Amino acid sequence: MEMDEEVFSDFQLDALREIGNVGAGHAATALSQMVGRPINMSITKVMVLPTEGIAGFLGGIEKNVAAVYMPVYGDICGVVLIFFPVEVLPSLASLLLQRNSQSTEELTELDRSAVKELGSILTGSYLSALFRFIHIQMIHGVPTLVVDMAQAILDTVLVDLEQKEDVAIVIETEFLEREKQLTGSFFLLPETGSLTKIFNAFSKTLEMPGDA
Amino acid sequence: MPEMEWVVGIAETKTAMSPDRLLAIGLGSCVAVTVHDCQKKIGGLAHIMLPSSRFHAKANVKGKYADTAIKAMVEELALKGGEKDRFEAKLVGGANMFSTIIQNPLPIGTRNLMAVREILVEMKIPITGEDVGGTQGRSLVFNLSDGKILVRKINQSDIWI
Repeated sequence: MEMDEEVFSDFQLDALREIGNVGAGHAATALSQMVGRPINMSITKVMVLPTEGIAGFLGGIEKNVAAVYMPVYGDICGVVLIFFPVEVLPSLASLLLQRNSQSTEELTELDRSAVKELGSILTGSYLSALFRFIHIQMIHGVPTLVVDMAQAILDTVLVDLEQKEDVAIVIETEFLEREKQLTGSFFLLPETGSLTKIFNAFSKTLEMPGDA
Repeated sequence: MPEMEWVVGIAETKTAMSPDRLLAIGLGSCVAVTVHDCQKKIGGLAHIMLPSSRFHAKANVKGKYADTAIKAMVEELALKGGEKDRFEAKLVGGANMFSTIIQNPLPIGTRNLMAVREILVEMKIPITGEDVGGTQGRSLVFNLSDGKILVRKINQSDIWI
C-alpha cells in the first residue's frame, strides 16, 4: 500500500513486524500451554491501511466475516478488531476447546466464547509486546464476537470511534493447527493523536531520527 | 437510457430518477433514509452516520447527520421537480451489532433511528416502510421506478419493503 510509505517508514514497519513476531510468539506459548500441545503461529503481513481500505482487504464490503471486537485503553485508546474468515470459526473453537475439528455446524455459545478468548489472548500478547518494545501501555476490554458483512461491522465501529485516525495498523497472523492453516487479521484502530505517540515512542526507544 | 446503479457511501446523500437504482451497502448502526415521489419517479437516499449536527463543532459534512442530510436531500428532490406532498420515506438500518460498545445512553443505531423519525415527522413526510434495528447489518437496493426497496441480510432471505 502506498499509504505505508506516507505513514510509517520501512524501518518503523520492520519494528512493528518485530513487535508482531514477539507478540505472536507470546500468544503461541500461551495457547500451547492451554491446549497442551505445540501451536505454531507466524506473522505473514504487517501494514498500515487506510480505514476505507479495510473492507477491500477482507474480501469486499458485503463479505461475511467474523470479528472479535475489543476496546483498548491506556496511552493509546481505540479499538481492536480481529477478523477471521467465517469458515475457520469451528476449527478455531475446536483448537481452544481441545476437541476434534467439527463440521461447520452452527456455533454454540461455548464455541463463541472460545473464539473470543482466542481474540483476547492474541490482543493481550500484541499489546504487551508493544509495551516491551516502545513502552506504550494499553489494556483491552471485554471481547464481543460479531459475524456479519464486513462493512456493517466497520461502519458501527468507526461511528462509535468518531475521533479516530484514518488508518489502521494491521498484523496478519497465521496459525498452524493439525496441518490446517488458520488466518486471523489483527487491526488496531487508534484514536486521533495516537500515531504521533507511536512515532515518538519509536524515536525514543529505537533511537531513530524523529522524522515523523 | 440504460439503468444505472449508484452506490451511496457512508455520510453521502444522492438523488436519482427512474430507471436508476440507489444502493447502500453494509449498513451497521448507520441508517439509510429513502424519500420517493411515485409520480415523478424520483427519489433520494441519505446514508446517515450520526443523529445530529448540533453537537459537532465541525459539522461540515452534511450527509453525516440525520438533520442536515435529510433536509439537503429533500431540497434537492424539490429542485428536481419533486412534490413534497407526494414524498414517502422508508428506513433501513440502525442495527445494534455490538453489545459491549459503551452505549451512552442508548446505542447509536437506536439514536439514529429516533433522530430520523423526529425529523421526518417535523417535515411531515410519512414513513411507509422500514426494516430497522436488530443486530444484523443490511444492504439495500432502492428502485426509483416504483419506490420498492430490496433489503439483504447475511444468511436470511431477501425482503421487499
